[in-house]
Formats: sequence, C-alpha cells, structure tokens
Amino acid sequence: METIVNDFTFNIATANGTGSQSANLILLQSMFKMGVPVSGKNLFPSNISGLPTWYIIRVSDAGYQAPGDRTHIQVLMNKATWDNDIASLESGTVVIYNSDVKLPVERDDLILYPIPMTTIARGLNPKLARMIANMVYVGVIAELIGLDSTILDNAVNKQFNGKAKAIELNATAITLGREYVVENFEQICPYALEAREVNPESFIIDGNEAVALGSLFGGVTMLSWYPITPSTSIAEGIISHLPRLRSDDNEQLTCAVIQSEDELAAAGMVVGAGWAGGRAMTCTSGPGISLMSEFVGLAYFSEVPGVIWDVNRVGPSTGLPTRTQQGDLSMLYEVGHGDTKHLVLIPGTIEECFEFGWRAFDLAERFQTIVFGFSDLDLGMNHWICNGFDYPEKMDRGKVLHSQEEIDAIENFGRYRDVDGDGICYRTLPGSGLEPILYRGTGHDEDAVYSEDPEVYVANMARLKRKIDGARTVLPQPILREEPEMQVGIIYYGSMENTIQEIDDILEATGLKVSQCRLRSLPISPVVEEFVANHEQIIVLEVNRDGQLYGILRKELPIKLVPRVHSVAFSDGLPPRARKYSEMIREKLLEVMS
Amino acid sequence: MKLNIIDLPKDDYKGGPSSLCPGCGHDQISNVVITAAWENGIQPDRIAKMSGIGCSSKTPAYFLGKSHGFNTLHGRMPSVTTGANVTNKDLHYIGVSGDGDTASIGIGQFIHAIRRNLNMVYIIENNGVYGLTKGQYSATVEKGSQKRKAEANESPPIDLCAMAINLGCTFVARSFSGSKKQLTSLMRAAMSHRGTAIIDVISPCVTFSNNDESFRSYGYVKDNQSELHAYDYIPTFQPIADVEVPEGEFKDITLFDGSTLRLETIGGNHDPSDAVAALSQIHHAEQDQRHVTGLLYYNPEPKTLDEMLNLSDTPLSELTNEQLRPSEEDLASLLGDLRA
Repeated sequence: METIVNDFTFNIATANGTGSQSANLILLQSMFKMGVPVSGKNLFPSNISGLPTWYIIRVSDAGYQAPGDRTHIQVLMNKATWDNDIASLESGTVVIYNSDVKLPVERDDLILYPIPMTTIARGLNPKLARMIANMVYVGVIAELIGLDSTILDNAVNKQFNGKAKAIELNATAITLGREYVVENFEQICPYALEAREVNPESFIIDGNEAVALGSLFGGVTMLSWYPITPSTSIAEGIISHLPRLRSDDNEQLTCAVIQSEDELAAAGMVVGAGWAGGRAMTCTSGPGISLMSEFVGLAYFSEVPGVIWDVNRVGPSTGLPTRTQQGDLSMLYEVGHGDTKHLVLIPGTIEECFEFGWRAFDLAERFQTIVFGFSDLDLGMNHWICNGFDYPEKMDRGKVLHSQEEIDAIENFGRYRDVDGDGICYRTLPGSGLEPILYRGTGHDEDAVYSEDPEVYVANMARLKRKIDGARTVLPQPILREEPEMQVGIIYYGSMENTIQEIDDILEATGLKVSQCRLRSLPISPVVEEFVANHEQIIVLEVNRDGQLYGILRKELPIKLVPRVHSVAFSDGLPPRARKYSEMIREKLLEVMS
Repeated sequence: MKLNIIDLPKDDYKGGPSSLCPGCGHDQISNVVITAAWENGIQPDRIAKMSGIGCSSKTPAYFLGKSHGFNTLHGRMPSVTTGANVTNKDLHYIGVSGDGDTASIGIGQFIHAIRRNLNMVYIIENNGVYGLTKGQYSATVEKGSQKRKAEANESPPIDLCAMAINLGCTFVARSFSGSKKQLTSLMRAAMSHRGTAIIDVISPCVTFSNNDESFRSYGYVKDNQSELHAYDYIPTFQPIADVEVPEGEFKDITLFDGSTLRLETIGGNHDPSDAVAALSQIHHAEQDQRHVTGLLYYNPEPKTLDEMLNLSDTPLSELTNEQLRPSEEDLASLLGDLRA
C-alpha cells in the first residue's frame, strides 16, 4: 500500500472535560513545528464535563484548512459516540482506540490499533489516569505517523508551562504509547508525516486572541463585556495581555475592563465611554447583539463612536451555542429600530482579526458611529497558522475639536452641522470646556437642540445616510482573484476564506474556473458591483440558511445586475467543508444555466 | 451680581426653560441642583449631567446649560455613566432618573451602579407614576393607591433607599422637593461625596397624583414627613469656626472633598453609619404611612469603581495616542514570544 504523506485528517473523539485539549494541542503544535501545514478544530458541546467532543486536525501540504471531508485517522476514547463514530468511517481508516473501554469494533475493513490506554495510564498515576490516557494516544500517533520526538518534547514542555512534574508524567505516557505500538503491531500505518521547511515567522493562534491583541494595539480604553460563548476569549485575551501592553510608568492601566451585568449595560458603557472621548468596545455573540440593539440605535442617531465584536454562533435564539455560523450579518448591518445602517468589518484571516481589531477604533471615531467586527466561532476559537501582525497605521481620532480657536475657525459651528460635506460633523468632548451639548436619542437639529420639525428630521436622516455611504470606499476593500474567463464569480466572506481554495480546486477539477471576491466590510464597496458586472453568473456563498449577504446585494445592486446573482447558503453548525459547498455551487449553476 | 467662590454668577448654572407641567416637583429639584452646584463652586464644564427617559430625565435640559450631558435610554443612565466615568474619572457626574426609570426598567443598572460604587450623584425624582405616558402606576407607588380610572394598586412598593442600603450604597438620602433647605444641603453633600450618592426625592406629580390622599402629594408629604436631622452644609472654603454652633446636639460628618455636613438633632438620634438603624427608620415610617427624610446612611470607606480598576492618574480620555498604543518594540517582543 502506498504511504500518503502530509494529506490526511484526524478525528479524535473524547468526552468534554477529560483534558484531551492538552493532548490535541500538543499534537497540533508538534506537527506545526515540523513545518507541516495544519489546522485544528474543536467541535465541543455546551457543557463543562461529560458530553462528546471531537477534535479535528487537518494535515495538508496544499494548505487546506477546512475540516476534511473524510477522516483518515480516528481516535476513539468516548463510549457515548463509539458506535456512530465507527459507522461513519470509510474503508481503510486507521482506528486507534482505547481497548480498556471494552467496546467492540466490529468492522474488518479498518486498520485497527487497540491500545490499553487506561491500563497504561493507571500504571503511571491511578488518580490522573483519565487525563494521562489522552497522552498515550499522542504517543501512539507520534509513533505511527513519525512525529519528531525532540519537537514533541518541546511541545509538551510548552503546553505544561515548564512544570517539571507534569512534563515528566505526560512525556512518560507518550513514550509508553510509542513503545506499545513498536512492541505489539507489525502492520504499517498508511499515513506519514514528513518535515517541511519551517517558516520562522509563523505561529498558531486563534482569532479571538488576535482580535484582543489588535484591540490593545488600537488603543482601546474601555472593554465592557458579558460572558458568552464564543466571544469570551476576546475579553479574556485583553485581560491577560493588559498588564504587559497597557501599563503606564506607575504600573497603572490605560484601559478599563468591566464585566457588566448584561449585554445592555455592556453596550451602554461603550456608548458612555465613546461619548466621553474613549475608545470603547464590547464583545459578544448574536444573543448579545439582540440585547444591545437599542443602544446601537442610540449611538447611530446621536453619533457616538464604539466598537462591538460579534463572534457568531448558531442562532436563532440560544441555538447551538458552541457551533459556528454566519447568521448575524444582516442583523448587524441594520440593527436597531427605524432606518439605520452600520459599518461591519469582516475578517477572513487571523492577520485581519488583528488588523480590524485596531482599525475598528479609527473607523468608529472617524465616522462617529458603531463599528461591528464580525467574526465567528470557527475563526474565533479554532487554531490557525498566522504569519505575524503588521504594526498599525497612524491613529485616526476623527473630527474632535480641542480648542476655542478650532471652533471659531468653523463658520456657524453646530454639533450636527455638516461643514465639510461628507456628512461627518465636529464634536467636542465633556470636560473640554468647549461648546456644551446635551446628547439625546430624540430628534435634534444641527445645534443638537430637540426638534420634531419634519424638514429638520429629513435633512438629518439624509446626512446620516450620506455619512455611512461615504464609508464604502474607506472600509477594507474586497479582495479579488479573477480568472481570465470571467464567467462565474463567487462572492464570499469571513471564515469561508479557509475553505475557498479547496472549493476552487474541486470546481477546477471538474472544469469550472471561478473568480473570487472576498467581501471584507459592509456597506458594500463599489468594487463588488464591478465584480458582479464583469461576470456572467455570480454565486453568493455563505454559512447560513437564508443567504443574508445575497439579500443585501439584491437590495443594493443595480436592478439589471440582480438576475445574475444566486445564493448558495447552507449551515449545519459545522465549519464549512469544501465538498458540500462545491457540490451546492455546481447544482446551483446547473439550475440557473439550464 | 452675586458671584460664587469661583467668581461665576448663578446664571452660569441655569439651563433652558422647562417644558414640564407648571408646579411639577421636578422643576424644584432642578433649581436645587443649580443652587447646589453654584454654591459648591463647581466649574460647570467639569460636570456631566446624565439621564434616562421620562419626565425626570428631561430635566438636564433645564439646568447646568454649560455642562455637557447625555439624555440616554430608558433605565440605562447608569451604564452610560459608568462608561463615561472610567473614561474621564475627574468629572462630576450627576444622574437624574425617575421611579419608572430606576425602579422598573432600570432596576438592574441601578443595582449594579451601586454595587460598583460608581462615583456619581444619582437623583431619583420619585412621584409614583409614569407621567409622560399619562399616569400609570410605578413600582414605588404605595399599596392600595387608587387612581380615578384604574384598579387599585395591589402590589407592595419598592423602597429604593432600603434597597440601596442593602446593596452597600455609600451615601443614601431621602428628601422632598418641597423641602428646599434640606434638599439643598443633602445635594451639596452628595456632590462632595466620593462614591455613589443616592438621593431619592419625593416629587409630587401635580397632574396625575396630587390628590391629598395620594402618598406623594404635596399636602400628604408636608403633613407626614419625619425628618431625621436638620442639616447644614459647610463647604471647604468656609472656615468651620465661623459657623454658628447650634444650641442643641449635633454631629459633623467630614465629606471626601473636606467639606462638612452638620447633622443637628431635632428629635430622634439616628446614626447614619448604622445600616440596620437606617432600614429600621424606613420600615417604621412605612408602617406609620409616613416619609422619613434626611441622610439615612453614609459610609465613606469603600473604593469607587475607578479606584478598583487601577487606572492611570490622567483620565483615559486625555491620554495621547502614544500612551494608548504599545510601541513597535512591544509588538516585536510579543510576536517573539508567540513564535517561541
């Protein structure tokens, strides 16, 4: 049998709360440090302990980062999912399982490695056996696919933070796993790892930590937050890096962090801090945005800057709290009662999570409005290879007047008077001693005085629209990869970036060459309209049921372009797999071109 | 023209004309805010006036016209004030709310502002009704209250002062919009306090709740008010030795900014450092269908939110871009650690 090198997928089935995450991260880190492109996805339950968890590691020289469409190496540790896990495997799959579980594996078309993991672990430390058993499968895998032992030792060292006792115990478990394989199996594993050139610039990180770091480099002065999966680790990332990155000479902090009583208060604090001249943010998920919507409307209408990160999980309602989706896009764009529109930044890579982390504050202060960062559980909580972060551009604090001279230089200054013609007015800050204003969510004229005058209302609403429209060319522009054929174009966004290359390759293998346009912000850039105009058929590809971006495009594109735009939207809670979406694209094209 | 200690006329503390009903208790409270800020000599542009939604929350337009302000959302004044406070901790925050705004839709934010000891004056203009929506019962209205066209209220009232004391609020007072002298002294003291200062002001609604049997009508409160002490506020700039010593018993409380609140005994002997006694005062008054007014509870010890957060001495809103953004070297060092 031919050995397959650097192109296979692990599925490690465990129970939540058994410490398997350490084992899985050690595997991921070790392969990564051998220079092999990997990505790790944690499919976890909404539970602290006991429910099933799967960790998927994709090893791919081609750089594919989606979860693979099939499993090549299955690790079975969990009784509860045992039968289903086995039933779903394709013929020839390597199965490493804990034989102490005493459950049968009744298939003769699999390559089996029964390992008495619990017995081995008990021999080392009876109390910690459940956790150490995970380390035994690390050793088994290491031996089977040829994981470098020095690199593995370093990964163990890093994972346990230099704690000698833990390192020794876990390293021994790995060695025993290796030895068991050598002593008991003669069959050859068909999957092997080969070292590649290591990029010294790269490291593994999740999107939420990258957003946290970006925010800290963006000069965030207040984070208010209410815990909610999958956004919590943005707040925790900020808290953990705060002392190092944002202490002043007196060891005092230049950013306040407040765990609020609910998402309403979190949003209220953002508005209060933005009003007072701070760079304020909160992070949440869909249910939180629902609660924040009244404040988002207030910030839109009274023109207060602020940043809200939505790490999307599966809705509606409580939904699937630990699964991924792009289901909040249309809500973010228009959240709030009445006519509103908001700026939405949509990172598709870890590098963009960092960049949009700091850029969100510049845009919020420039446009004096709420800027949403739109991430999802897949990008936010899973592990990705990152090549580093670029230092931010010069800070943009927007149109803030700091002296009476600046006010006097403006003819007929008013808080909401558009003197520059871009819809963005000048503001003064509380405590500045300049031109006091009573901010309000009620109708107001150009001098911020209460008004119900129809003409004043219409003019104000028109200016707000002009202001937001002005952002279309300023926000991060789409990234295009155009084929000379210009026949079919795919518009997509966010974490689909990690599946698109594989989709593209699958389609190309069937003779279909597609151009790509990755949207990175709302409201949409004029570049998108050009892209649509340049292609005969457009597929809008997204991870939700209703085709939310498709809906926005239908509303905003010139009507003559609308018939060529088609929706491919699907969401089952899992990160998008290439085969599924490429099949849907082919079906849709067959349907519309016939 | 009479000037205050920082040479400003009282006009500099006034606001626009009120659009509330003539005779509204809220307008009297606005006047007290103006007087208190002026007499204390606070720079108007160092004050931020905050409010929620409702009749009471309209009043920031009617006082302190030279101060920035934010008329926010219904029940959400505390959270907006919290964000502003940590961003610019050196401003004086004066929040105005009503009984609907605080005791119903905003009760969660009320509780958590107190829990954080947010450094602000929190005025509740409490009339027992929703005025702007034309007279529905609020959650502070007395049990058995009977409005002309409605069923009697059967639910017990929420006592916001008792609640604040239980939550560890550091300054809790109840007053009456018709007791100008008492309210002014308490307001001035609240402005000198560091921490959350709650003043629950009974403020009759002349349109929807001013019949004499109503618990919060002018007539009823006037006849059924039990004052804990008589108060005299002595600012830092007035040497205390120059102040006439009262004939009877009295006790001085030194406030955060060095000023003094003098509590003169006029009947009982309430000790505002005793939370249990304060709660007892409230419950006895309720039993007797009376209103107890004055400084119920005071505790200057707890840290305020901005102190707990260990923030830079300079308000965060005044930090330079360089102070806010870590350096290129910081990024390089961080990336080095991530790559290790």
